[in-house]
Amino acid sequence: MATANTEEEKSKSEQQKNHGGGGGFTRWAVLAVIFRLILIYFPGNLNLSSRPEVSTPLTSIRRLAEGYWLKQSSMSPYAGSMYHGSPLLLSVLGPLTVKRTILTYSVANAELKGSLVTFYADLISGILIRATGWKLQMTYRKSLKSLNLLNKSTDSGGLSSGDIAALVYLWNPFTIVACVGLSTSPVENLFTILTLYGAATGIAPLAAFGWVMATHLSLYPAILIIPVILLLGYGPDAPPSKLFRSKENGKVGDDTSSQDIIFSWGRVLHLLVWTSMWSVYVLVLCSISVKQHSSLQEMFQRTYGFILTVEDLSPNIGVLWYFFAEVFDFFRDFFLIVFHSNILFMILPLAIRLKHRPCFLAFVYIAISSMLKSYPSVGDPALYLGLLGLFLDELADMQFSFFLFCGYVGVSLLSPVMHNLWIWRGTGNANFYYATAMAYACFQIVLVVESVSSMLNHDRKLMKLSASKLQK
Amino acid sequence: MRSKLPDAASSRKMAASSAVVAILASIWLCSSIAADASGSSSETTMHTNNWAVLVCTSRFWFNYRHMANTLSLYRTVKRLGIPDERIILMLADDMACNSRNKYPAQVFNNENHWLNLYGDNVEVDYRGYEVTVENFLRVLTGRHESAVPRSKRLLSDEGSHILLYMTGHGGDEFLKFQDSEELQSHDLADAVKQMKEKHRFKELLIMVDTCQAATLFNQLHSPGVLAIASSMKGENSYSHHLDSDVGVSVVDRFTFYTLAFFERLNMYDNASLSRLFNSYDPNLLMSNAYYRTDLYQPNLQEVPVTNFFGSVMETVHTDSAYRAFPQKNTPRETRIRTGNTAEDDSRRSILTDMTKAECPFTRIVSSLESKMETVGNLDSLVNYGLVMILPVLVVSVWLST
Repeated sequence: MATANTEEEKSKSEQQKNHGGGGGFTRWAVLAVIFRLILIYFPGNLNLSSRPEVSTPLTSIRRLAEGYWLKQSSMSPYAGSMYHGSPLLLSVLGPLTVKRTILTYSVANAELKGSLVTFYADLISGILIRATGWKLQMTYRKSLKSLNLLNKSTDSGGLSSGDIAALVYLWNPFTIVACVGLSTSPVENLFTILTLYGAATGIAPLAAFGWVMATHLSLYPAILIIPVILLLGYGPDAPPSKLFRSKENGKVGDDTSSQDIIFSWGRVLHLLVWTSMWSVYVLVLCSISVKQHSSLQEMFQRTYGFILTVEDLSPNIGVLWYFFAEVFDFFRDFFLIVFHSNILFMILPLAIRLKHRPCFLAFVYIAISSMLKSYPSVGDPALYLGLLGLFLDELADMQFSFFLFCGYVGVSLLSPVMHNLWIWRGTGNANFYYATAMAYACFQIVLVVESVSSMLNHDRKLMKLSASKLQK
Repeated sequence: MRSKLPDAASSRKMAASSAVVAILASIWLCSSIAADASGSSSETTMHTNNWAVLVCTSRFWFNYRHMANTLSLYRTVKRLGIPDERIILMLADDMACNSRNKYPAQVFNNENHWLNLYGDNVEVDYRGYEVTVENFLRVLTGRHESAVPRSKRLLSDEGSHILLYMTGHGGDEFLKFQDSEELQSHDLADAVKQMKEKHRFKELLIMVDTCQAATLFNQLHSPGVLAIASSMKGENSYSHHLDSDVGVSVVDRFTFYTLAFFERLNMYDNASLSRLFNSYDPNLLMSNAYYRTDLYQPNLQEVPVTNFFGSVMETVHTDSAYRAFPQKNTPRETRIRTGNTAEDDSRRSILTDMTKAECPFTRIVSSLESKMETVGNLDSLVNYGLVMILPVLVVSVWLST
């Protein structure tokens, strides 16, 4: 919060204007923090870390504890196909999973609960989302002002979109479940949000670090390199450049003539240099960490190879496990390629269409990858629903919003029920659970499609408004 | 100016001389290989395990002392570290539960009855009528029927030190087996020779406690064999004392004084074999203990008795898990001494000495690795690296704003 304050005076004035809103934000944020602490130190066992929605083979804290124990027993942490994460995470989170008797109060679960790592990760993520939202909103208002479309009605007296997004992220039940359920997805989300924050504020080393760490922890944020490059090149989200060019053609001698958006290759080069430096550093650290009992090749095979080849078919809220349980071995590779290129093929068209809105492009990429990734968990909707809050100004006219809200609530309630019916009571079967997973995928598709179309509608509206203003 | 093209005569000469050189070189190579093969004696292999074959060749109640001899040695050898799976015990085993035994299921080797040799963890591998010359030779040479279980086989390899102890009734170049057969000295020598050919032992100590025991070794030729007998040709080996309660003699003199020597030892003493051999007093034994060392190369004063009578190994402590392929010893590995002298190291040097590739890149990488190992724990290095990220990040952010 402090860095965002000292950046521009406008934000200061805005903060004074929104003092009431700011007070509201801090109130709700503190309430969210207290609620999480209550849930974390809840003496009963909520049993969240054993749910398949929370703990996948990639995010499970028990697997991390097992990997740490294997490492302490002078074996490779990837032995036996339990742990599939980064060795650096082992060094950081591993010692916290060991039960110690020094603490005087009893901790119900592994000591990670008492160490509040996921709690701090969520807190920092919330702060970063708020800062990103401020930056985005400032750019939005600046661009609207240059188009002379800014009027009092667009200045909402309440919370800004950054505050709303941060509150949505902190109060999202998915985030709370991922935090209390001790999965490692809050840490991954933290690095993704750090990437977006660094790119939005133009700090290339921060964005590079966030991207390298996010890709290292889970493979899919690799596609975020494109929005990050666009963010650093073009700047944060703005209406299409056609608008500014047509305005310049219409008006002559404007004082805000620096609206010509050129792609700054310098910053992108800066980003690439920092990316390579950070990735070399991370690779060297990993190779040192696994040198004793394992090798870098085994690490890549067990982390990235595991993600790409979908070796573990235990149920989760994704759609891949059921499919690959029944596909024949002959076609397995083909369908692996199909599923992964489903994500890859959407990169280019979306990048072309939404290149003037890179932050929103990042949101769409995250939503698509969380739908089609091999092991989705509850931390993924936590991330993109929080990011969705950043664009509330533009997405105000989104269709089907109530339908989606009800759908998400219904799926998140029915999915554990179906899992219980299938596994514990035996009165259901895998189709029950997979039905909720498919419904969840459908809702995600609807969300993505509707948000993209409403964003494009917003841009068209802006074009119409500015064209009508020019004609005046 | 020399002509570049050699004429036919000189080329033939060169061809002939090169052929001679090649033949000589090959002959030298073959001889060196042959010499190497024949000279590959116990110095080049490492002592890996210890075995004991304890044979009592007598049966019937009045040969109680032979069984007590064998069981006493069995107990000693087990106490000094050889486990049951590496002891082949061949007994007639008809003393402990004999109807004439006043103390059922108990076998003593002293009239003070302090020690019950027939405790509850005696594993007899060949009992009763299985103790035959044929089985004995099969055990030694390893030629068994396929149905013979592993516990009845001598599964030694080329790094084994074997103790072979035999007691019973014997005579000039023979040993009586269960009053029906005899094992002759050339049978024993043949078996030992076969064992040597099949690399079934590195060193063998044969200890025999019978009358005229030394004659049993007359035909031995194989290197690496140490033999000790309780009496020479023409002498008898006598029993030590009579237990009037049990009614028979309970131990032989030679074994009695051997046990007296060992009872003072524990696993970590490095009493040498020469001390053992020098402890036999002919006046007490009433015979001349004879030992044959011409086939045994190491100096008896430097060989600890636990090389044969116990199982004391040199352990190498590594930090990492057991690897499938042997690697060069890193300085991290420490050796735990068990009271052995430095001379034993040279005999126990590890054979596999991997030659390193001479590529400069691997040399640099290996030097880096060795330097990293001297740094200390790799985990702490990783932790430092992780902690270092934060200041680097802060500095870079500050620089770019």
